[in-house]
Amino acid sequence: MAAARCWRLVLRVPGLSLHTAAGAAVTAPEVTGPDVAAAPVARYPPLVASLTADSKAARQRRVERWQATVHAAKSVDEKLRILTKMQFMKYIVYPQTFALNADRWYQSFTKTVFLSGLPPPPPAKPDTEPAPALDVAALRAAACDCLLQEHFFLRRKKRVPLYLEREAIASPFLDQLVASLTGLLSARNPALAAAALDCKRPVHFYWLRGEEIIPRGHRKGRVDALRYQINDKPHNQIRISKQLPEFVPLDYSVPVEVPVMNCKPDKLPLFKRQYENTIFIGTKTADPHCYGHTQFHLLPDKLKRERLLKQNCANQIEVVFRANAIASLFAWTGAQAMYQGFWSEADVTRPFVSQGVITDGKYFSFFCYQLNTLALTAQADQNNPRKNICWGTQTTIYAMKWMDKRSNKNPRVRSKSSENEMPDVEYCHVRNKVNSSKKNTGNQFCPSPALQSLHERTSLGHDVDERYTYGLESANDGILLKNLPLQA
Amino acid sequence: MALASGSARLALARPGRLGLGSCGAPRRGAYEWGVRSTRKPEPPPPDRVYEIPGLEPITYAGKMHFMPGLARPVFPPWDPGWTPPKFRRLPPLHEHPLYKDQACYVFHQRCRLLEGVKQALWLTKTKLIEGLPEKVLSLADDPRNHIENQDECVLNVIFHARLWHSTEDIPKRETYCPVIVDSLIQLCKSQILKHPSLARRICAQNNMLSTTWNRGSTLIQVHGSSGAQLNAKDPLPPIASREEVEATKNHVLETFYPISPTVGLQECNVYDVNDDTGFREGYPYPYPHTLYLLESANLRPHRFQPDQLRAKMILFAFGNALAQARLLYGNDTKVLEQPVVVQSVGTDGRVFQFLVLQLNTTDLASDEGVKNLVWLDSDQLLYAHFWCLPVVRRKAVVGPL
Repeated sequence: MAAARCWRLVLRVPGLSLHTAAGAAVTAPEVTGPDVAAAPVARYPPLVASLTADSKAARQRRVERWQATVHAAKSVDEKLRILTKMQFMKYIVYPQTFALNADRWYQSFTKTVFLSGLPPPPPAKPDTEPAPALDVAALRAAACDCLLQEHFFLRRKKRVPLYLEREAIASPFLDQLVASLTGLLSARNPALAAAALDCKRPVHFYWLRGEEIIPRGHRKGRVDALRYQINDKPHNQIRISKQLPEFVPLDYSVPVEVPVMNCKPDKLPLFKRQYENTIFIGTKTADPHCYGHTQFHLLPDKLKRERLLKQNCANQIEVVFRANAIASLFAWTGAQAMYQGFWSEADVTRPFVSQGVITDGKYFSFFCYQLNTLALTAQADQNNPRKNICWGTQTTIYAMKWMDKRSNKNPRVRSKSSENEMPDVEYCHVRNKVNSSKKNTGNQFCPSPALQSLHERTSLGHDVDERYTYGLESANDGILLKNLPLQA
Repeated sequence: MALASGSARLALARPGRLGLGSCGAPRRGAYEWGVRSTRKPEPPPPDRVYEIPGLEPITYAGKMHFMPGLARPVFPPWDPGWTPPKFRRLPPLHEHPLYKDQACYVFHQRCRLLEGVKQALWLTKTKLIEGLPEKVLSLADDPRNHIENQDECVLNVIFHARLWHSTEDIPKRETYCPVIVDSLIQLCKSQILKHPSLARRICAQNNMLSTTWNRGSTLIQVHGSSGAQLNAKDPLPPIASREEVEATKNHVLETFYPISPTVGLQECNVYDVNDDTGFREGYPYPYPHTLYLLESANLRPHRFQPDQLRAKMILFAFGNALAQARLLYGNDTKVLEQPVVVQSVGTDGRVFQFLVLQLNTTDLASDEGVKNLVWLDSDQLLYAHFWCLPVVRRKAVVGPL
């Protein structure tokens, strides 16, 4: 009788307290393992919510049981399998997108804060010896060689038409640039010498963020999580076996807020599809090179600068680069974290850091990303003060002025006679862009002050001289790199 | 019967062509005649006025619109002045500016030589030596040149290429072959700290090579791109000494009568004799160092056999060396003071062929004299077999994990 009264009393209590009591009862024997001999063993099984009832408590218990299986999974592959095996409709997020203001949307999807400029340099350790000086001239020469090889020296079968220029010229140029710069910089960074270089390998990431009320269907009115998937294909990526050190501490509180969008993601536009949920960094989990260093992206023709200017979207030029960086680097760092066994209920205990260089063949921008939290689901994000941080620069160019020696006519019109002449490359102004992205060794990452000042001085976007095929020489100090002899 | 289309008609053994007594099938089916709804309407017949000789009919052409009573104008057929590229026909070969009467036998990247290496040696006037030269082998055997954890690194490379680099369970050869070659090159480049000369090289792809030479009375050309090519700022040093080069004078090239030496090559009359290394003048990396030929087709019949691959390697290496020699020393046929050395690596992802070719002479017309030398290391397996999934028999894992 007393027991029955107890039972009825307990039933009237809202589900949450029942659940917490059950939780306490369930966890009590596990937590007090060594003390179990001292504490009395419970005489009755713990009071928990039903598993199969149509109630919120039952649903919560099922969810927790599923989460317990993930926590108890023995290997990372098994964990990923449990997290991704159920397929539902999800939003496909494209890093290279034409959507307006996509970078703000992507920041809200990934809980990222965008800071312009590059991250602060780490404090110099007094015991380590200073690194050898960076041979910028050699790097510049290598970059010039790659550029000239693809654009001028290499004789191809047919003259490449304009719409194929990107994949036939810019793509091998980027491959070559990455390979040669990695080789030259591995003297300063032995991790780069042992790094793995991937060419057009896919990167996938699947995550949940936020909730919505299902508008129609047999589940109408119920709360459902929003699922996102990124399927990215970076042009090149460098993977290393040791993790890059953090830029800022894990719990660093950024004063900037993550943008909050008041509409559904469908407004972006973002569309839903149901297919395989994959999480992939470029290799499978067994690979020892499981940490990322740098990614290189080549923007497609659809998003090129001239096209955006024609559509009156000059302010979207930077947005395209930023959105690509945020989405791609979040996917990569998130996948790296999941490969180490972290997930939304088991948040990262150390920040995951990667870098990215986004280019469209002429204009480059550099980004650094630090993943501080994977807990983006509604349940895990309730008391989560951490935010992911993305640092990025403005698009910076390196410009060449091709001039027809015979007549100063519009170099866009390449007459047949001028093709055989060596273009009079007046000066090849190659920025030391590699400074920031490649110099990241174990202990010395510092974007040079020269880089920072050059950033301020050569901001562009509006200065593009449309007449020239290759942009504009930057305002002041054109550093004379190559003054090639003029062909008669 | 009326529904018989072109292909079905052939099966009917064309009774209509025999003349009388046809089965009634029309000479062209409905598809070729044109479906009635899509046929263009017939033009109206010209006015009877045009049949009267000596009379100039008055038409409404000047008025620019129809006028009853006036004749319908007949306009001359309109010549648009240009044809869209879709409908353009190529001019007959005889009218091509590069047409020549003498046929040239061109070797391109999909040519399979029937006699393989023997034929390639005859075409390039080369002597074969099995195994790589001592100089190259000593570089490999030198413990100072070994990469630390070399075996582990190579094993990781093989696993990465064959299993890890894609989300599929079993990656296809088209993806894993270039991945394995790139990873091995990257592994070699990781030694850049010990060998700074590795930085004086660059990789190029899709360069169009073209060289022509006379072999007896036949003109042979190597034309096309051979895949990835490593170019260097410094030339490779010659491998065989002068004595060995002179000793090749006694070597007799192996013939394979009755097979013609040009079998497998493409015969064409439209060709350009000028040499082309694939790069313009002033290229900072003028010397070809190594060619990488990949056979990465998924289906075995689409891939070259090892013998054919070796022949292709010899010919492309020779083409590069000859173009380089002519660039450096002129077009005259002579024995080279400084032989030109080019290397080549051919693979299908598992079996590797290595080749070092030394060009000693550009005098290729006659069969006597100094010959070129090639060292060939064939059929080196990087690994014997690779199982992507564990072999399970009777619910027990039997094969490797």
